Amino acid sequence: MKKIQNGRRTRRDWLKQSAKALALASLPGCERLIPVGQTAVKVGLLHSQTGAMAISETSLRDAGLIAIEEINAAGGVLGYPIEAVVEDGRSRFVDEFPRKARKLLSEDKVVAVFGCWTSASRKAVLPLFEKLNGLLFYPVQYEGNESSKNIIYTGATPNQQIFPALDWFTSGTGGAHKRFYLVGSDTDYLYSRTAHFIIKKYLESLGASVVGEKHAKLGQQDFKDTVQAIQRSDADIIFSTITGDSNVGFYSALAAQGITADQIPVLATSVGEDELRSLLPSQVQGHYSAWTYFQSLDNPQNKRFVELWKREFGRDRVTDDPIEAAYTQVYLWKLAAEKAGSFDVSKVRKALGSITDFEAPSGKVKMDPKTQHMFKRFRLGRIREDRQFEIVHESADWIAPDPYPQIAFPGWKCDWTRDGITKGAPVET
Amino acid sequence: MFYWIYDIPNWQLAVMISGGFVLIYWFGAIFLSPILRRLVRSTSGSNDVVGYILSSFGVFYGLLLGLIAIAAHQNYTSVEEAVAREAIALSALNQDSKAYPEPLGQNLRWVLRDYCRYVIKYAWPLQRKGIIPEGGRVRVTAFHEKLLSFEPQTSREEIIHAETLRQFNNFFECRRMRLQAVTTCIPPVMWYVVIVGAFINLVIVWMFDMRLMTQFTLGGLLSLFLGTMMFLIAAMDNPLRGEVSVSPAAFELVYKFMLDDSY
Repeated sequence: MKKIQNGRRTRRDWLKQSAKALALASLPGCERLIPVGQTAVKVGLLHSQTGAMAISETSLRDAGLIAIEEINAAGGVLGYPIEAVVEDGRSRFVDEFPRKARKLLSEDKVVAVFGCWTSASRKAVLPLFEKLNGLLFYPVQYEGNESSKNIIYTGATPNQQIFPALDWFTSGTGGAHKRFYLVGSDTDYLYSRTAHFIIKKYLESLGASVVGEKHAKLGQQDFKDTVQAIQRSDADIIFSTITGDSNVGFYSALAAQGITADQIPVLATSVGEDELRSLLPSQVQGHYSAWTYFQSLDNPQNKRFVELWKREFGRDRVTDDPIEAAYTQVYLWKLAAEKAGSFDVSKVRKALGSITDFEAPSGKVKMDPKTQHMFKRFRLGRIREDRQFEIVHESADWIAPDPYPQIAFPGWKCDWTRDGITKGAPVET
Repeated sequence: MFYWIYDIPNWQLAVMISGGFVLIYWFGAIFLSPILRRLVRSTSGSNDVVGYILSSFGVFYGLLLGLIAIAAHQNYTSVEEAVAREAIALSALNQDSKAYPEPLGQNLRWVLRDYCRYVIKYAWPLQRKGIIPEGGRVRVTAFHEKLLSFEPQTSREEIIHAETLRQFNNFFECRRMRLQAVTTCIPPVMWYVVIVGAFINLVIVWMFDMRLMTQFTLGGLLSLFLGTMMFLIAAMDNPLRGEVSVSPAAFELVYKFMLDDSY
């Protein structure tokens, strides 16, 4: 069983790496793994470090860097140290992200890129990765309805986050809620729009109903009208896909109208520990978030990860689901490259499918070679007074990823070990 | 110019330069000295004349070496001061950010902490290679962006905000000075004069009429000293390169305080 290595390189590590490098070099017809003139293997980190998304994405950059630092301290990958080429997407998803992605792939010749947060940025760089045969590791939960041979999705799909959350809340244990009110970010915001489409379809199948729906502008702070609409609708639960700073306004408005978690709980899919820092505990306590990782997870890998994070960046820094995925995906790439004995995109991708026993902070993870998404364990957290989560429900086992849930995208499926994407009926989300 | 010298350990560099000078001198004493002595032999009391020339030359060359050594030291000190000033300004900004409402204050402190960590872990190794680090710029922009997003509501906040902006400008200036210093060095033309001067020194000593062993001993000592002076200047030149370079200790101390402060 492979575990995350930490600490300095020992003499034994040096000997092992040297022996490996010597063995590789002595193989007949052995290829040089990195371009001539380079002494390190280059990987790209592409996140917004400035602009509106900086506060969330900077942590993902840090998670990637800390994993690279650890790997380098333990001897690198295939005998080479990793050099991170860090680029700023400047929160400009459709112009800056593709420009920087092109630079990373064409000029810097990176062997893999770890990056993006918003679906808009991922969608914008996807054609480039396909055209230039790059490999993008995307660490954030998303709306599904997408699969690319050149992207490894390490965040959760709707069937790993949204469906189990809805199952729980409509069950007796979760309060048998039947009247859902959906609130999300701008209708132009891809995640909210598609997620709501999927939620409605799934609730229908569960016999529950959507009694209302509102979308807020990105960054909107005034939610008085939204909260009044929720009160008028007689909803017994709110499903929120609101992202970013707007959550401050939303939860404040709920508290101002006297709505507590006991009366109408909020189930959010974009509020993690990092977002909770901006929210008053009195306004959010008791509400819920659905993720696959929480900082409060009690396992040795997570304790070590959280301790490392706080030691490196400060005790007031918190980890959350995308941060954990951003950290884990660097290790997955490393293990795959070592298994493949190469940094070649197709070989690494193939090897990723055979990594089945990696112990990440969220627990054991593995990639599904058919969809290039991760098997994940669902977790539902209730917000505590200390702005951490109490895990109230956890799926019994891994949930296989499904980027095209049949309930929303009938006929669609993907299998990259065979024919790739099979298109079903056109779906208007 | 000879930047590769900063990639080797100091003691090796010292042995290489000083030893190189001695070996060159010994080589010349065996093969060049007889030829050069022939040029001055016709003159009666040739050693006196050579001695007089060497003393005159020595005064000028000594002055030149001394001045260059001082210039290198001054460069080093001013870069050290700029680094200390930047670290102090960073620390002051960190302190100022505590006056901002949360979570903005915390976000500001995170960016500063991130900047400090970057300078220590990533910028310094690049500077040691003579590369101007670029990763700090994006962090400074992120901090500035966040700072400008704040709109003071009270006169107290206005005063604090104005002071923080002033401190930020000061920090920015110090940072520019540090980056500028990455390529600060003694101009190549000065190195040219120093090396030519050292060679002339050796040539004059080769002209002395002495026994070979005396040549080896006295000339060898002089060459050793010349080489040591060269090593000193080379090691102190480029204040952010090599082993004798300004360390990130000032930033490390600030980062430690920042981490302690995060409890």
